[in-house]
Amino acid sequence: METTASSTADESPLVLLVQPLFPEFAAALAGRYRFVLAADADPAAAAEARVLLVPGLAPVTAQHLARLPALELVVGTSAGVDHVDLDTCRNRGLSVTNAGPAFAVDSADYAVGLVVAVLRRVAAADAYVRRGRWAADGDYPLATKVSGKRVGIVGLGNIGSRVARRLAAFGCAVSYHSRSPKPSSPYTFVPALLDLAAGSDVLVLSCALTDETKHMVNREVMEALGKDGVLVNVGRGGLVDEPELVRCLRDGVLGGAGLDVYANEPAVPPELFGMDNVVLSDHRAVVTPESMRGVLEVITANLDAFFSGRPLVSPVQLCTLNKR
Amino acid sequence: MESLGVLLLHPMNAYLEQELDRRFRLIRLWDSPPDARADFLRSNAAAIRAVVGNAGYNADSALIDALPALEIVASFSVGIDRVDLAKCRERGIRVTNTPDVLTDDVADLAVGLAIAALRKIPQADRYVRAGLWKAKGDYTLTTRFSGKRVAILGLGRIGLAVAKRAEAFDCSISYHSRSQKPFPNYRFFTNVVDLAANCDVLIVACSLNAETHHIVSREVIHALGPEGVLINIGRGAHVDEPELVSALFEKRLGAAGLDVFEHEPFPPEQLIGLDNVVLVPHVGSDTEETCKAMADLVLQNLEAHALNKPLLTPFSGKRVGIIGLGRIGLAIATRVEAFDCPVNYYQRTKKEYPNYTYYPSVVELAANSDVLVVACPLNEQTRHIVNREVIDALGPKGVLINIGRGPHVDEPELVSALVEGRLGGAGLDVFEDEPNVPEALFTLDNVVLVPHVGSGTHETRQAMADLVLGNLEAHVLKKPLLTPVV
Repeated sequence: METTASSTADESPLVLLVQPLFPEFAAALAGRYRFVLAADADPAAAAEARVLLVPGLAPVTAQHLARLPALELVVGTSAGVDHVDLDTCRNRGLSVTNAGPAFAVDSADYAVGLVVAVLRRVAAADAYVRRGRWAADGDYPLATKVSGKRVGIVGLGNIGSRVARRLAAFGCAVSYHSRSPKPSSPYTFVPALLDLAAGSDVLVLSCALTDETKHMVNREVMEALGKDGVLVNVGRGGLVDEPELVRCLRDGVLGGAGLDVYANEPAVPPELFGMDNVVLSDHRAVVTPESMRGVLEVITANLDAFFSGRPLVSPVQLCTLNKR
Repeated sequence: MESLGVLLLHPMNAYLEQELDRRFRLIRLWDSPPDARADFLRSNAAAIRAVVGNAGYNADSALIDALPALEIVASFSVGIDRVDLAKCRERGIRVTNTPDVLTDDVADLAVGLAIAALRKIPQADRYVRAGLWKAKGDYTLTTRFSGKRVAILGLGRIGLAVAKRAEAFDCSISYHSRSQKPFPNYRFFTNVVDLAANCDVLIVACSLNAETHHIVSREVIHALGPEGVLINIGRGAHVDEPELVSALFEKRLGAAGLDVFEHEPFPPEQLIGLDNVVLVPHVGSDTEETCKAMADLVLQNLEAHALNKPLLTPFSGKRVGIIGLGRIGLAIATRVEAFDCPVNYYQRTKKEYPNYTYYPSVVELAANSDVLVVACPLNEQTRHIVNREVIDALGPKGVLINIGRGPHVDEPELVSALVEGRLGGAGLDVFEDEPNVPEALFTLDNVVLVPHVGSGTHETRQAMADLVLGNLEAHVLKKPLLTPVV
């Protein structure tokens, strides 16, 4: 049997899978590549495999990577790749790709949806109506205006820049914090996260989870955001000190939150279930047919590019992430 | 100033009530038991000169009849569909509402509801709170909001604010309103069914009146279809509610986000159990900031009325747009204010007139006025300042008044617009080629023609003659001229 990794006319390139593909992805990619589950790979396949595809957020550890000596590329299917051991990838000179901009639009839409839902109490008001309380208890209490709020965005990448544009159209004043300022951006750069929080009414998290950003939203930041401040997270649960978040919300140190991600999904701190100033969502910000089609295109483009020796479409910069 | 007797129809805002009590003589309608209401009104009728109502409770025909001393209705709302306007006009009762201050809130909510409905945010929240999120990956797909075709019913202040927000999501915008507006990027539909058939999200943002009652009919809902979304931040009566409910239930309509209902506070029972609808209890303008601003408008309008000053936000009265706010323009503004006409204006530079609304172009001025008055000097820049675009923006219900110079207006365009009914009417004192007046105008019933008599009174001609003589004398005697034009 051929052991060369290059494709021939009748043998598709080998791609190992960390876990099974979503049925729609499997159907779309069928016939173009030879998919084998990494756990089921025979020694020959493991020795030969150059590409590892990571459906969903399945963890990819140093041990997984160690079993694949010929590995050159890890293809992620999400925007965040914190579930992949990037240190090991960097040390071995592996390339890693993510979903690129495929999820940015829906994530941004959802973030804005959460901002409005928290400030204007949309989910709580919906529950109020469904429980018959409008007739029984009268008008729903006043909420607070979205227009004109000061919005601080953490991470002005594909998602953050789109959130900025959308909220600016609502008349919000937008500032941002990121590793470095974006000179082409019209929004105000704030070098310290604590200052951004202190000067914002709403803080939106849309950055990658790394060693540096883990628990970046801690008690100090939440205190700075304040009793009328609102936190919206469409990044990763790990960006926030979750037990502290629950305490701050419970004690009124923080005004409210809109959360699509959590430290330990699908577990959601039950103390949040009784709070009206919180909107809880099940990590669905990018679960749309449009995003699914988009990420499929990015995955296919990366695989095609790799196997024909062209530049990758959405490589993740490993040297700037996870600095030691 | 003797204290103005104000009848408050329903508890609606604590700050408003407290300030009404402090600044005026407040009478609370709910102080009387419901079955003794007629007597209560009778015994207080002499004192009640003002009524404060809101979206749900307002000055209807019966109430107005019961209050012979009523002078003003100051509504704590922008929509005044529950005020009997005809009766108010008849009795000379002034009406004020609260436009602009709530525009942002309602527009914010409209877009927030659209995202919530499409992306099922409250549904997700219920799902998580019920402890149903057991495994990652058991997702239902919901469709993207960005890029959807958004259609707006009514392109007034609120409709425009919705459009501006939706544009930031790369949505294409289409609309229906009584007349076409000067926004070439927004596609205008004369027919609501066609509008609905060509969009993904339909947002109701027009005022409620006889023409717009049930404007979202069965036919419109059908055109919107099983993938379509209806967002109602107008009034419940804009929509045929039973039709809407059955369409949602049978999934003939994709989804809805509703802030208003035909019989508040009772939304239709069948909606409560549905997963494809977001329901909120008429909270469009219910933020602390906006309610305070609305209350302040009500209080300021009442104070202005009591002190015989111009009302801040009168509802009655045609909107008058003045091109050029010089001496003549300002004199026109002062006069029309006394008729409770809101004044808009355009001129080269914006000045500080807190009661007058500035528009940066004549087309926008025309689009937002019922009567357009030309009162600027004639020069290179103002020749044909009233052109086809401006005439179209003024529209089939608009009226043009020209007391400037004939060449201010593109006369052939004006004539054809009047003949074809594209312009509602005109009052003309000046013409491009006096004393020749286009004959086509003579047979029209909606035009008043006068032969350049703007200053044609004895008194004024005498004063003008005196000025001419005074200027000549000054020149001869080498004294400063009286009225030099620089």
